[in-house]
Amino acid sequence: MEDAVKGLGADAPYWEALDRGELALPRCTSCGRWCWPAPFRCGSCGGWTFEWVSLPMTGVVYSWTRVWHPFGGAEDLDKPYVTASVALPQADGIRLFGLLEPGDRAEIGLPVVGRVCKTRPFGQETAAIRWTAAS
Amino acid sequence: MSAPRFPVSTAVVGLGVRQYKRGGAPLPEQGTLVRAIVDACEDAGIDPADIDGFVTYGDDKNEPVRLMPDLGTRELTWSTQVFGGGGGGLAAAFGLAAGAIISGQATTVAVFRALVQDNSGRLSAAVMAHHLNDHITGVGLVAPAVECAMRAQRLLEHHRVPRQCLEDLVRAAYYHGSRNPKAISYGRELDLEAYRSSRMIAEPFRLFDCSRENDGAGVLILTSAERARDLRQKPIYLKGVAQGAGRGWGDLLQNDVHYASAGFESVARRLWAQTGLKPSDIDVVQLYENFSAQGVASLINHGFCDYESVGEVVRYENLIAPTGKLPVNTGGGNLAQGFIHGIGVAVEAVEQLRGTSANPVPDARYCLLAGGPGAPTVSSAIFSVDAE
Repeated sequence: MEDAVKGLGADAPYWEALDRGELALPRCTSCGRWCWPAPFRCGSCGGWTFEWVSLPMTGVVYSWTRVWHPFGGAEDLDKPYVTASVALPQADGIRLFGLLEPGDRAEIGLPVVGRVCKTRPFGQETAAIRWTAAS
Repeated sequence: MSAPRFPVSTAVVGLGVRQYKRGGAPLPEQGTLVRAIVDACEDAGIDPADIDGFVTYGDDKNEPVRLMPDLGTRELTWSTQVFGGGGGGLAAAFGLAAGAIISGQATTVAVFRALVQDNSGRLSAAVMAHHLNDHITGVGLVAPAVECAMRAQRLLEHHRVPRQCLEDLVRAAYYHGSRNPKAISYGRELDLEAYRSSRMIAEPFRLFDCSRENDGAGVLILTSAERARDLRQKPIYLKGVAQGAGRGWGDLLQNDVHYASAGFESVARRLWAQTGLKPSDIDVVQLYENFSAQGVASLINHGFCDYESVGEVVRYENLIAPTGKLPVNTGGGNLAQGFIHGIGVAVEAVEQLRGTSANPVPDARYCLLAGGPGAPTVSSAIFSVDAE
């Protein structure tokens, strides 16, 4: 549960799913809207309950950057590394950040599949998603 | 129903800047700030003890009550700051100051920002601290440059904004900075080959697409228009100011509806409505640009161009004073004048309208000040030479 403590808003089930190697995202049980970041209340309909839906870890690259500078906190990532924002059509386009490997195929629109990995930002281990080209 | 007009009843009457190389300030941060405040008071012709209000932004660490002994403050009646760790609150600080003056909570307000690395550490780290969470740090999103690079890539690759616009904005900043004795780049124009071959930071940003950090402090004194008329300098009036965020902007996982935006759509709409002005009325722009692409996105958001016309508008020749139609960052901006978290671009807005800029725009009447782009909360203001 340590990861959940370091998370954001009401996202504890997201980290619990990643720890099982899975992806889950919240959907409002009142209006059916996918919400991200995970809220406590649905700002669209006022609902307070969410269903965490397991989803296939697939998506499309929405944007990316190849990072060359040795910024503090990312010492465990070999430079250059590619960080990507990946849109999930199966969740109304919610976007998740991840690493894209190999990075030389980085391109907006690239279909990708993800798997859970561990990284060590600022020396503290956390779960993250590594995306690779779908084909 | 038309939007209510912003009351033009406050003016900037004093400027003070102390700027040094990062790590090079001769005094600690508080001492540097006190010097800049006293500079601004001397410029205005007022006693530092008469300042009764203070406002800052970007998590400045200098709580105004601590400045009272040095300034001889008679009475502190009002102090506050704008939320957010970045420069998004720059213009908003003037809005707060005007609100305090118009409502009688203060008479003479110092709008300030001070930054000395030995005291406050690296600015980039302080700004990033507002964003950090495991979703982003775990995948290398650990610095403002990386976050802004992702948005920039979307701007270039998806929205097809020409790469040339970024280069031209940077080149214009250095053109002005090279001619401004107060700029860190004074006497040095940008070598285009050096720009194009400078080391990659986070694609698409090379080194010179990124703002530098400086030690220093900047101060602007705002007071009522009535009092301003009796002071030493030509009053520069606050014509309008807006801050905030539109729906679908500013969440910590950056699921922004308009990801490649700088975040100003709603702020710009309100600014134009409350002033009755439009982009073509603006004579000169002082643009907070943390990174080149965010500066271009800010110009787009304010309506100076769109994704289709940006290549015609954001051109080097068009951006330089006095001949360009849209002179931008006439002091050199954050990129080339210096970067005390953006306070320098606000100072240049006033210098330009006073007629004391190193790169004057003839007969400039309205100057837009756009705060930090890409921040969760952003802000913009318009300054004017007219008392109405």
